[in-house]
Amino acid sequence: MADPAYSALRKMLLDEITPVVMVLPTPLVEERCQKNGLSFVQMLTPFCVFNNIDVPVRTASDQPYRLQKFKLRMVYASDVRQPNVEVTKERLKQVITDAGNIEDSDLYLEPSSIETISTSSQPDFVPTWFQFFNKEFVRSVSFSDHEAFDHPVACLLVVSSNDKDPINKFVDLFNMNQLPPLLNEGAMDPKIPKVFVLLHDNQDGSSERASKILAEMRNTFGANDCRLLCINSLQDGAPAHEPNPWEFYMPNASPDQNLGRLLNKEDVDELRDFVRDVSSKDIIPNMEQRIRVLNQQVSATRKGFRNQIKNLWWRKGKEDAPENQTVNMYTFSSIESQIRVLGDYAFMLRDYELALSNYRLLSTDYKLDKAWKRYAGVQEMMGLTYFMLNQSKKDAEYCMENAFTTYLRIGTSGKGNATRCGLWWVEMLKATGQYKEAAGVYFRISGEEPLHSAVMLEQASYCYLLAKPIMLRKYGFHLILSGDLYNKCDQIKHAIRAYRNALSVFKGTTWSHIRDHVHFHIGQWYASLGRFDVAMKHMLEIVACSHQSQPMQELFMKNFFQILQKTGKTYKIPRLQLPIVNISSLNIVSEDHRTYGSPAAVSVKESIWQHLEEEMVPSLTNAKTTWLDLQSKLLPNKLKQSNVCVAGEALKVEIAFKNPLQLSIPISSVTLMCEYSPNEPQPDASSSANQTVEDGKTNSDTSFFTLSEVDITLEGGETTLAELSVVPRIEGRLKVTGVSWKLSDSMIGYYNFEPDLIKKRISKGRRKAKQTTNKLEFLVIKSLPRLEGIINNLPTTVYAGNLQRLSLQLKNSSDIPVKNLKMKISHPRFLNIGNPETVNVDFPACLEKQKTSSNKDKDIDTTKKSESVFHFPEDTVIHKENTFVLPLWFRAATPGNVSLYLTVYYEVEDKSTAMRYRTLRTHHILEVLPSLDVSFNISPCPSKLQEYIVRMDVINKGLKSLKLRQLSSVGSEWQISLIESIQDLIPSGNLVPGQALSAFLKLKIANKTETETDVWLGHGGGGAVFDTRRAPLVNFHHYEQLSQKTSRQEHESTVDFMLISEMESETENQPPQIFSHHACHCSVSTKRPIWWLLDGPKIIHYNFTNSLCETKLKMTIHNSSSFPSSITINTFDSPPGTSISSGNKVGWHDMSSTPSEPRVPPPESAKAVVLESVPPFIWTGSSTTHVKLGPNSTTEVWLLVTTFAPGTYDLSNYSLHWSLVGCGDVREKEGWYLEFDNFMKKSGFRRREVDRGCYVKNLRSFYIILELKGDVVGSDT
Amino acid sequence: MASTACFMIISKNDIPIYEAEVGSALKKEEAAHQHQFILHAALDVVQDLAWTTSAMFLKSIDRFNDLVVSVYVTAGHTRLMLLHDSRNDDGIKSFFQEVHELYIKILLNPLYLPGSRVTSSHFDTKVRALARKYI
Repeated sequence: MADPAYSALRKMLLDEITPVVMVLPTPLVEERCQKNGLSFVQMLTPFCVFNNIDVPVRTASDQPYRLQKFKLRMVYASDVRQPNVEVTKERLKQVITDAGNIEDSDLYLEPSSIETISTSSQPDFVPTWFQFFNKEFVRSVSFSDHEAFDHPVACLLVVSSNDKDPINKFVDLFNMNQLPPLLNEGAMDPKIPKVFVLLHDNQDGSSERASKILAEMRNTFGANDCRLLCINSLQDGAPAHEPNPWEFYMPNASPDQNLGRLLNKEDVDELRDFVRDVSSKDIIPNMEQRIRVLNQQVSATRKGFRNQIKNLWWRKGKEDAPENQTVNMYTFSSIESQIRVLGDYAFMLRDYELALSNYRLLSTDYKLDKAWKRYAGVQEMMGLTYFMLNQSKKDAEYCMENAFTTYLRIGTSGKGNATRCGLWWVEMLKATGQYKEAAGVYFRISGEEPLHSAVMLEQASYCYLLAKPIMLRKYGFHLILSGDLYNKCDQIKHAIRAYRNALSVFKGTTWSHIRDHVHFHIGQWYASLGRFDVAMKHMLEIVACSHQSQPMQELFMKNFFQILQKTGKTYKIPRLQLPIVNISSLNIVSEDHRTYGSPAAVSVKESIWQHLEEEMVPSLTNAKTTWLDLQSKLLPNKLKQSNVCVAGEALKVEIAFKNPLQLSIPISSVTLMCEYSPNEPQPDASSSANQTVEDGKTNSDTSFFTLSEVDITLEGGETTLAELSVVPRIEGRLKVTGVSWKLSDSMIGYYNFEPDLIKKRISKGRRKAKQTTNKLEFLVIKSLPRLEGIINNLPTTVYAGNLQRLSLQLKNSSDIPVKNLKMKISHPRFLNIGNPETVNVDFPACLEKQKTSSNKDKDIDTTKKSESVFHFPEDTVIHKENTFVLPLWFRAATPGNVSLYLTVYYEVEDKSTAMRYRTLRTHHILEVLPSLDVSFNISPCPSKLQEYIVRMDVINKGLKSLKLRQLSSVGSEWQISLIESIQDLIPSGNLVPGQALSAFLKLKIANKTETETDVWLGHGGGGAVFDTRRAPLVNFHHYEQLSQKTSRQEHESTVDFMLISEMESETENQPPQIFSHHACHCSVSTKRPIWWLLDGPKIIHYNFTNSLCETKLKMTIHNSSSFPSSITINTFDSPPGTSISSGNKVGWHDMSSTPSEPRVPPPESAKAVVLESVPPFIWTGSSTTHVKLGPNSTTEVWLLVTTFAPGTYDLSNYSLHWSLVGCGDVREKEGWYLEFDNFMKKSGFRRREVDRGCYVKNLRSFYIILELKGDVVGSDT
Repeated sequence: MASTACFMIISKNDIPIYEAEVGSALKKEEAAHQHQFILHAALDVVQDLAWTTSAMFLKSIDRFNDLVVSVYVTAGHTRLMLLHDSRNDDGIKSFFQEVHELYIKILLNPLYLPGSRVTSSHFDTKVRALARKYI
């Protein structure tokens, strides 16, 4: 006992492997004993343990030693047999169930954390019933015939003094028929020492009769073997056993049974002395005697060299014997059994050396005999003996393993023994601190019986916990395994215990399947025990099981909802994971002075609005003196920093919910959580905070604010944006604290918004800079009027160029009127404001040209104040129930997707409110499809100055056919006319999709008197022509002009065209849709700034007989550039050879080749007539003429030509030189050059003054020098 | 090809960053958590063994019934664990080595945060292909 660590197994062995005393009582004895609530064996049991018996014993080799501790096992003869398998199983199950019920109380407590477990010592956390269970288990395989330590060493025959004929009774008791099978079947020696006991009940009378019988017995059976035992001396008095010795052995007895109530102190002492006497005087000496006898026998037959050889030879001969005979081969008289008995007796009397030597001897025999069960039993004992000897750990373990595997090998019959062996082995390993190995053995013990396996696995798990280093994961795993097995055996409480302990390992694990498995099962089990609250706690852990497969998710959800329903309680779970709130999607829209016409308008960037409203709203400094000042008077300074919202107007919150599962989940009553606090001036900030919380609780359902509720169903994996709103009712402060939703009727999840996390879009403006505090807190101010605006009939898809008449409806639902309205439109190209006074006009007709132009002045001419704000008429005041309608003109200017922004500014008439003005912002998105594509190409007319040929190319890129209606040149400077009839070009009149059309028109500068600016292109001639000089066409044209403007058109004469077409509407009665296409800045100028035309009579009839013919020719020179030019005209009478040179006839050729001038006869057709020698004509007058021509002016020069003979003459031999004066460097005035120059300057280049084609940029370390080269022709000949 | 094979990569903080059932057997729902349990428990053994050898491949270190756990520990103490029922040590070793290479490539990705979950589908297909090849 030196090593305390050895005590566990040692104690167990000393308890379990002890001599067995068989007890054979008569029924009368039992009856007497039952008066005390005890059986005879039970009565004696407490006295069978001797801590200090002090009996001298001699070993086989006559070495004396003293036994100190000793124990006897008293067993009824009827119990000395192999226990029934089923019965033991039942009993073990009972043990486990009982243990489970005992532990019920602490089953629902929080599992203690693993840290505390590992530091506390073993008994604290390993359930105590394990010991008990193991003991029961070991007992379940006792009284086997292959081992001798369970064989009774003595027999106690007990007869009551009241029995009739007691002597005969004694003889009857030891009747072979009633004896246990061990004796009957010859496994042990039937001649065991007997002790004859006479039990006398003192209540039955005096002990005289007893003494008489005892004397008789002594005569019959010998004096030494007879005893008298007197009990029940106490006459129904109260027992005085403190402590009661029986209580420890019968824990199941209820206290009122009053064990041993008739035994007084003398009786107890007598019992103790009796057992002591029996063991020290009978049993131990008997065993000692037996050991000596057996030892001598064994020595005689087996020890010594000769016996060894003989034995070996003899066994070899037996080898062929079939194995199944081995069971009955060893009777008590066989030498093997005797050796075994010798070993076991020696073991029981602590003579371990002797025991070991015998076991060794025996094990080789059995091995040779292939008697595996016996071999295993001997090996097991060897291991234990080694252990008791406290030497050779390795040998002990080897023997145990050997025994264990051997037991397992023999099949089912060895299973129980294997388990027992394993348990001992485990204890042995535990004793030496090899917990890891012990756990492995436990795992091997766990066989097919699930309940036993469960217990073993649980014990294994505790071993892992005790192992150094601690193996927590193994601990958890084995607990789970054992929990599963417990569950299989309906030991729910044990299962829960195992899982709960495992939770301490798996809590918060990232191993998703593990976590789900543990929580799901433990939740289910708690639910099955009716502890729904605890079950719910675990079920909540698995709701967000997105990694699981769909069937598993369905299973989880089904159970979850079932348990939830059964709980009958309402849960409020913060941050419930089903569905997941995507907090980054949180978007709060509050309207202060900015109001939005549509949700689309909210999502527009604030900067766009600000840019748009720049001119309308009072500027920053201005604002401070107006409404902000007013606000600061009304409100405490502190509150200025929070956001503002208006009572009665909804605060909209958008938040996305994501369903992590693959199933669809309905969630209902999605609503915001808000807190309201009244707005009285509170000097103490902390008290206000407290009140806020309380108010929020109590007032949430009262009339301070109204919350909207939304029900949504989330499909698997879906993310849905929930739009929620809260409408504050009265002034004060409103705080949005979170969002809550109902997963089912009794499961409410909520999510508290944390102010830092929220990106808010509302105040990008100036107040954002000031406000650093709570973005979720709003200052509710008094109710204000709020305009609502709709644009009627705004199409979503239109063809480009479509012109429509729309109207803007403004409505004010408040009692307070608004006034001083202004409006601005982001794209005036698309949307134009009509005359507010002409609300009711029929649309296409109003565009038609009217005879009286009186209306023209009244039209709103937005072109004058372009880019500026439209002011509503001064007296416009919008009341309640008074809808204001403003006509709008819409024209889809360019194809593509267009966003139109419209903002209306209005002021509130009531001066007492915190805000003086508000703006209404609307946003519209249109899709514009392409329709007609119009382009114009203008070339000068060759035959006439100031006249041009215009080629119009139209292609229908839309999907519907269009009808051309009218082409106009805008303004009154140009007049156009068709060259050929339009009917020839498109007989059908319709331009079907994809069709292209080219038409030629004549263009000339208009006279003052007649202005034919419009050309009717439609069929049937007589349609009314639209007036392009009136709104809205002129307005749209203006914006087109602005947008089509490029930089080079400034000093060139241009012409703008407007093509009006129409499309039949789909519905019959509707007027056709009108389209207008604008082509602006079509340049009429060509590359040459100077144009001239030599003109004279084409045919002259002249009589050459009189004189030479002198003809006057008129040369008209036009300078279309913006510079004055100097022109030199040289005429020369060239020699005939050179006169034909084509170089001088360039101008003529070019012009004559123009196909559009068929009426001009080619003048050089009769060149053949010209005489060879003389020039056919000569120029008369000055040969050189200088003309100075101002910018954009025309002059006429007269030239004289003299001809000598009739004929046709080519008058091409003159030259005209021109140069532009006044522009030192012509290049610089040209558009492209200016553009280039601007660009270079912007990029940081400096232009050198000396060489103006050279740009320099200084980049500190190096220069970039750029030399501009190119052929720039300054003059044209 | 083993009928059961569960491959997992465990980060050094014991968090699974990749898992794949690469066995040929039909997947059972119960098996998923059982495999996790076995591998999780085997971490205890890995912890003991990893420092006793300089080799990265620890061979089969733990077993549960007929399932064997083979482990490969990288220098960064990321553990590649394979639960399998076949006895093909060489194949498993090659499998681990090639997966290790793939894992290093994942680590080289500047957008991958070490210790976070490996979500690359390319990695997944590669691992599965390797499993088919070697196990």
